[in-house]
Amino acid sequence: MFITIDGKPCECAEGEFVLAAALRNGIDIPRLCHHAALPNQASCRLCLVEIMENGVKHVTASCSYPVSEGIEVVTRSQELQKLRSGVLALLKERAPASPEISALCEKFGVAGDKRFFRDTNERCVMCGLCTAACKLLGASAISAAFRGVDKKISTPFGEMSPACIGCGACARVCPCGAIPLTESGGAREIWGKSFELVRCPACGKPFATREELAFLAKKFALPPEFKGLCRECQRKETVKKMPELRNAIAAYPSGSAK
Amino acid sequence: MPAKSVYICCDTGCTAAGGGLLASAFAAKLKNSGAACDLAPAAKRTGCHGLCEFGPVVRVEPENISYYQVRPEDVDEIYEKTIAGDEVIERLLYKDPFGKQFKTAAENPFYIPQVKIALRNVGEIDPLDMEEAVARGVYQALAKALEMPPEDIVDEMEASGLRGRGGAGFPTGKKWRYCAASKSDIKYVVCNCDEGDPGAFMDRSILEGDPHSVLEGIAIAAKAVGARQGFIYVRDEYEGAVRHAAAAIAAAQARGVLGRNILGSDMDFDIKVIRGGGAFVCGEETALINSIEGRTGEPRVKPPYPASSGLWGKPTLINNVETFANVAAILHSGAQKFREIGTRNSPGTKVFCLVGKIRRTGLIEVPMGITLRRIVYDIGGGMMNSRPFKAIQTGGPSGGCIPEALLDIEVDFDSLAEAGGMMGSGGMIVMDSCTCMVEFAQYYVKFLSGESCGKCTPCREGLRKLDAILTDIREGKGRLSDIDLMEDICQTMRKASLCGLGKSAPNPVLTALRHFRAEYVEHVEEKYCRAGVCPSLSAFHINFDACTGCSVCARNCPAAAIEGVKKKPHQINQSKCVQCGACRDVCQFNAVTAGRR
Repeated sequence: MFITIDGKPCECAEGEFVLAAALRNGIDIPRLCHHAALPNQASCRLCLVEIMENGVKHVTASCSYPVSEGIEVVTRSQELQKLRSGVLALLKERAPASPEISALCEKFGVAGDKRFFRDTNERCVMCGLCTAACKLLGASAISAAFRGVDKKISTPFGEMSPACIGCGACARVCPCGAIPLTESGGAREIWGKSFELVRCPACGKPFATREELAFLAKKFALPPEFKGLCRECQRKETVKKMPELRNAIAAYPSGSAK
Repeated sequence: MPAKSVYICCDTGCTAAGGGLLASAFAAKLKNSGAACDLAPAAKRTGCHGLCEFGPVVRVEPENISYYQVRPEDVDEIYEKTIAGDEVIERLLYKDPFGKQFKTAAENPFYIPQVKIALRNVGEIDPLDMEEAVARGVYQALAKALEMPPEDIVDEMEASGLRGRGGAGFPTGKKWRYCAASKSDIKYVVCNCDEGDPGAFMDRSILEGDPHSVLEGIAIAAKAVGARQGFIYVRDEYEGAVRHAAAAIAAAQARGVLGRNILGSDMDFDIKVIRGGGAFVCGEETALINSIEGRTGEPRVKPPYPASSGLWGKPTLINNVETFANVAAILHSGAQKFREIGTRNSPGTKVFCLVGKIRRTGLIEVPMGITLRRIVYDIGGGMMNSRPFKAIQTGGPSGGCIPEALLDIEVDFDSLAEAGGMMGSGGMIVMDSCTCMVEFAQYYVKFLSGESCGKCTPCREGLRKLDAILTDIREGKGRLSDIDLMEDICQTMRKASLCGLGKSAPNPVLTALRHFRAEYVEHVEEKYCRAGVCPSLSAFHINFDACTGCSVCARNCPAAAIEGVKKKPHQINQSKCVQCGACRDVCQFNAVTAGRR
C-alpha cells in the first residue's frame, strides 16, 4: 500500500507503523522512546505527526500509528513544532541533567524554565524502554513503581533485586543515559548491586556477569561447556565462519526459505 | 388491616447514616406485632431513594409517605401511627427551608422535575431479591432480544440515539455495530463500574440498587454483538455494589437467566465480577482491559480500538453501568419512546450526583435538556447559608466549571462541552462564593497528579508543572505570564497526551481561566484571594457591627485564635489564626468575612 509522508509517496506494508515507514524513507522524526527491537512505548510524545485520514486531521504519535492505504502524514508544521516544543520544555524541566534532552532543546529552540526544575540531577524521562528490554529478555528485574507524577523506575521496593542479572540491557537502551552502570576492577555495578565480571575465554577481557551467562545458558538450553565470548571476539568468530555460512546459505534449496 | 409495606433505603449512604440498623428494627417490630402487613416482605431494604442528605429514608406504601432522618427509636411510633393507623408523623416529613412540609415524594420539589429510566427500579425493589426485579419487568426485554436477530437490536440502539453515559457520549449503537462487525470466535462484553470522580456515585447506586437491570443490559449487548462472556469491573471500595452484583449473578444463574441456554434459548452467556484496585485511570477503557488481564493499569494506544481488539486481543464491547441500565428500557418501550425524552442529539435522561453548597443533595435523574438553573434551584433547593452561587462543576476531573451566566444552558453532551465543561459520568458540585477558583483548579490538578498513570510526558509532567504554577499563584509568587504559560501547557496536554484522561485533564484549569480569569489576575497582581481560601493572600476578620458576641466561633476555632468577652464583639488574633474558615462557617450572623491580609 501507499501512504504519503510530507508529500512523498511511500510504499509500506500492512501492520507497519508510520514512524518506521518514515525512517525507511529517509524522513527523520524526533523520538526518544522508540527502539526498533522493543515494543512501542508511545510515551515520550515527541514523534507526533498530523495524519489526514478520511478527510479528518488528527495529531498522534507516529511510532504506534498503524499505516493504512492513502493516509497523508505531515511531520513538520507550525502546530507540530509548537506541540513538540511544549513536550520538550516539559522534558527539560523533568530531566535537566540529560545532555540528550538539552541537545534536542537546542535543536528545536526550546528554553526550559529553571523555576520548575524538579531535580537538577535527574536524567530519566520515564520512556519505559529499560523495563521493556528487561521484560523482553526475561529477567523483569525492574519496572515502573507508583503512579502519576511520582512514577519512577525501580527494582521491587528499591532494594537489590535477586532477578537482576546485571546484563546492563536497560542502561544500553536508555536514550538519556539515566541508568548508572559502572565497571572497575573486574566488577560491574548497576541498580545498587555488584556483579563479578567473567573474562572472555578468547581475549581475557572482563565482558559479562556470571549471572548473565547462567541466564543465557538456561534460557537457550546451552551446553554446560558454554563460556560465551566478548562482543569483539564474537564478531571475529563470525567473520571467520563467514565462508562456511555463505556456503551453507548457497546450498539451501531456493524457495524453501521461510 | 390495610396492606402496607415499608421501604427502607439501605444504599451505602443511608447505611452509613444507620439505615441497616433501622431496617433490622423494622423487621423485628413487624415480626413481633403479627400480621399488620400482608405485603411480603413488609420491610424492604431497597436501593437509593435519592435525597441522600436526609437519610436514612423510609417510605410507607401504599400512601407513599416518605420519612427522613429516621432513627431506630422512631420505629415504634411509625408502626403505631402510620402502619397500624393512618396518621402522618409530621416531624419526620421533609421540610423545606421555608418550613413547608411534604408528605409524599411526588410533592417534593426535589423529585418533581425528575424522570426515571436508568433508576426505574432503584429504591423500589430489594436488590437482593430477584423475584421483585422480575415482578417489575426485568428480563422481559432480554427475552424479547433473544428472539430478535442481532442486527435488529443494534438498529434499535442506534435509532434510540443513546450515547455512552460514562463521559465521552459516544453513540452506543455505533459502538455495538463496530463490535458486532468484528469477526472473531470469542468476544467479550465489559460493564465499567470503575466510577472515580470526586463526588460521584451514580453507577454505584444503580448497580447496588438494581443489579438485575444491569445484568439484563449486558446480556442484551452480548446477544447483539455475539459475546458469550461478560465482566463487570467494579472498584473494590464499592463493597455493596460488588456484593449485590455477585448475588444477582448467582440468582440469575440459578434461574437460568445466565449460564447455558439462557432463558431456554440457544445462547450461552455468563457474567463475572472483577474487583478493581481503585485506580481512577482504570475507568479508561484500555487501562481497564489491562487491569482485567492482570497488567498494570495503563492505557493502550488506540487504534486498535477495543471493539476490534480488546480483552486478550478479542473484540470487546465496553459500556458503563448507566448505559447498560438504559438498554433494557429502550428495547422494552422502543427507540421512538426513548427519543421523546431529552434533546435531539442527546435523547433520554441522565443520572447526576448533585452535591455541594446547596440545600438538597443526592442522586437525581433528569431529562436531557433541563437547565442547570432548574437543577440547582428547583431540585437542589438553591444555595445553602444564603451565600451567592459561584459555579457548578460538572464531569469530574475531566470536566470544568460553569459560571452563573451559563446556568440557563440546557444540559446535554454538546452544550456542556461548548461551555467548556463535560457531561462526564455525572458528578455535579455546586460551589458558592467561598470557593477560590485557583484552589478549585489545583484540587483537580492534584487529584489527577496522583491518579494519572504517569506513562506519557504531557499528562505526567504537565500536571506537575500546573501544580507548581498554581502553588506559586496561591502563595503570592505568581506572575501574570504564568496564566498564559498554563494555557500553553493545557493545549500541549490536550493534543499530545496518550489517552482520554490526559487529553481532558487540563479542562478544570482551562474552564477556570476562561470563566474566572479576573480572579487569577487578582491573585497575581493584587495578592488577594477574595474567597478567603488561600492563606497567604487573605485573612478572616470579624465585623464588629454584626458580631453579637455569641462566641460560637471561639468555641469552634481549632487554634484558639478568637478572643473576646461574651456578648461583646470578638476579634481574631491573626498571629494564631490557621485560616481554616471554621469561624465563617459557624457564624449565624455573617459577621466573619474574608478580606485582605
